[in-house]
Amino acid sequence: MNKVLRNPLAYALFILPALIMYIAIYILPLFSSLRNSFTSWNGINEATFNGLDNFRTAFSDERFWIAFKNNITFVLFSSFVQVPIIIFISIVISGVRKFLNFYKTTVFLPSILSTAVIGTLWQFIYHPDVGLINQLLRAVGLESWTHAWLGEEGTAFLAILITNSWQWFGFYIVLLLSAIFAVPRELLESAEMDGAVGFKKSWYITIPMIRPVILVILLLSITGAMNALDIVLIMTYGEPFGSSEVMGTYLYKQAYKFNEFGYASAISIIIFVFTVLVTLIFQQIAKRTEEVEQ
Amino acid sequence: MKNVKALSLAAIMAMTAVAAGCGSDKGSGSGDSKGKDVKLSLRHTNVRDTSKATQDILLKAVKAAETAIPGLKFELDGVEDTVNRDTKLKAEMAAGNPPKIFDLFGGADTQNYSKAGHLLDLTPILAELGLSDKFLDLGEFTIDGKVYGLPRSGYIEGVFYNKTMFADAGVTPPTTWDEFMAVCEALKAKGMVPVAAGTGGPDGWVVNMIANSLFVREAGMEVQEGFVKGSHKWTDAAVVNAFKKLEDLKTKGYLDSSALALKYAEGQAKFYQGGAAMLMDGSWAINAFEDAEKSKIAGNVGFFNFPQVGGPGDGYINGGFSNGYGFSSHVNEDELKGVKEFIKQFYTEALQKEALLTSNDFPAMKIADTSGTTGVINEVLSVSKDAKGIFPAFDSIVQPKVKVTLETTMQELIGGKTTPEKAAEKMQKVQDEANAEK
Repeated sequence: MNKVLRNPLAYALFILPALIMYIAIYILPLFSSLRNSFTSWNGINEATFNGLDNFRTAFSDERFWIAFKNNITFVLFSSFVQVPIIIFISIVISGVRKFLNFYKTTVFLPSILSTAVIGTLWQFIYHPDVGLINQLLRAVGLESWTHAWLGEEGTAFLAILITNSWQWFGFYIVLLLSAIFAVPRELLESAEMDGAVGFKKSWYITIPMIRPVILVILLLSITGAMNALDIVLIMTYGEPFGSSEVMGTYLYKQAYKFNEFGYASAISIIIFVFTVLVTLIFQQIAKRTEEVEQ
Repeated sequence: MKNVKALSLAAIMAMTAVAAGCGSDKGSGSGDSKGKDVKLSLRHTNVRDTSKATQDILLKAVKAAETAIPGLKFELDGVEDTVNRDTKLKAEMAAGNPPKIFDLFGGADTQNYSKAGHLLDLTPILAELGLSDKFLDLGEFTIDGKVYGLPRSGYIEGVFYNKTMFADAGVTPPTTWDEFMAVCEALKAKGMVPVAAGTGGPDGWVVNMIANSLFVREAGMEVQEGFVKGSHKWTDAAVVNAFKKLEDLKTKGYLDSSALALKYAEGQAKFYQGGAAMLMDGSWAINAFEDAEKSKIAGNVGFFNFPQVGGPGDGYINGGFSNGYGFSSHVNEDELKGVKEFIKQFYTEALQKEALLTSNDFPAMKIADTSGTTGVINEVLSVSKDAKGIFPAFDSIVQPKVKVTLETTMQELIGGKTTPEKAAEKMQKVQDEANAEK
């Protein structure tokens, strides 16, 4: 038996099933997208080669840039608004002694709902006539503050960002909580003896100790933001006037609404490249801050 | 040693999984002596509460076909209409594996799919079943003389109105655009929303029902084909005028201010819940209006033809036979038999009449007797009889790209993001591109 395991072929055999899956559902589609991105193809009839036309179109396409900008906003909102709030709430909850499980369950609840459910739920909340927000505003006499939240350019994308955060809060908080509870008690106690209490304790002890998990959360938020699609499709469909479009929805529409599968493939390649870039940048920053700290 | 055990265990599990995967494929084999087991997938779009009656009719035909051919079994798959048309069916067509029977639209969809060779040529089947001359119009499903789909029902588009609200405001159904605007003003003065519309997000086509009737009124019926042929342009003064009228409707506050925040079904609900006085919609929606359980205006709905503007398209009404069933060309002999039986059982005068009576479906086949209808369908039938003629919706004529661009452009127009002139220029640009692609 041990002899078998020394044979590299045996290992190759073991990873074969996973490798086949990986190639079939990841590598092959990637290359077929790459091939399609150089064609003009309506998805059904024959494709014709058109060189770099699709990429040229994308870079001069105003709507694509709105979508791109929205993805960047999405990333920034996730990193600089959502994640700090998550850290804050996690630390607060971790300090609670009573009903800890109740809080944990409550914040986690949205994560078990599917995006379709959440999107529809929040559509009701944002509904211009019967929605919760507008009804509340009317009840307190702030009629002029009411908006068609998902139907106005100024509010539609923000409304989605808030809903998306709400959906993922619970999942990230539970991740962070487990990290916080794993911080050695002795460390916290000795810090307390040295005079670090409350905010100071969190800032100097807890947060550095849970840093790896925070980085994972940041990375997940960023890639999630780059790949956002379902929630936008359900809530606004990228409208009004393309103002809440993200690259994913724009790709989807080019493929399935406009029948431009070639162009859509080109966009998918661009998204892929951007996501890799953003992730690399993030990892560089993460590495550098680590070095500074050490 | 522990590792070795774990690894071999994993290997065994992986192998059994693979083996199980191989085995399950052959489970559903030969049938009994009564007949060969034939399974036919059938994609329908009767998924809403309001389409229950339509679904019942489909089930009747399915059952009849299953009884006629022992061993035949239909596998029904209900998908929301827009999702089916824009996403699911398209993806299946791209992959070359559509269901054997599926909900299909005439016009560009049928053209693309038949060009790709995925649609069954129904011409010989119709001849065999004696159905060739039974349909009112197969134009939208016919390409080069061959029929590739069969309409389930027809539709007529026009303005539905709430009779109570009209009476309260002291107005009567208008016939000209000026009268229509006056009616809107009177309704608005009474604090009512004159025209409901749910045209946000993916439902840009809803506002296009109004736009479509407007530009045909202004520029005449031939304008729609003219766009594709190049003899007419979106930038023609008549078309721009139509866009101006639509813009007017919004800027004067006659079109619901939340139109862009609502989806189609929500806009429709606003009308049948009594929240708005009028709604531009198709006869397929009558079922929802007359549903006593959900609708507050059941039995109280009126219908009039889109108002006249003093243009060459006056007097016509929008309608067509563009939605029905298509059939996959990838069928074997037994499946083809099942398809034929389905056509035979589904496209009958009796079921067409039943659809008219129970779900207010405008018949797609010539039926001798249309009596027994109640409610607003009667008004729709009589208004369409009085019309000079029927014009098809523009989206069954122009290229898909042009259709979608008009949706977003009209959303921009009523959202105040563009002007009628700019909208026309944008449309013409896309039309030129689409015409050049051919």
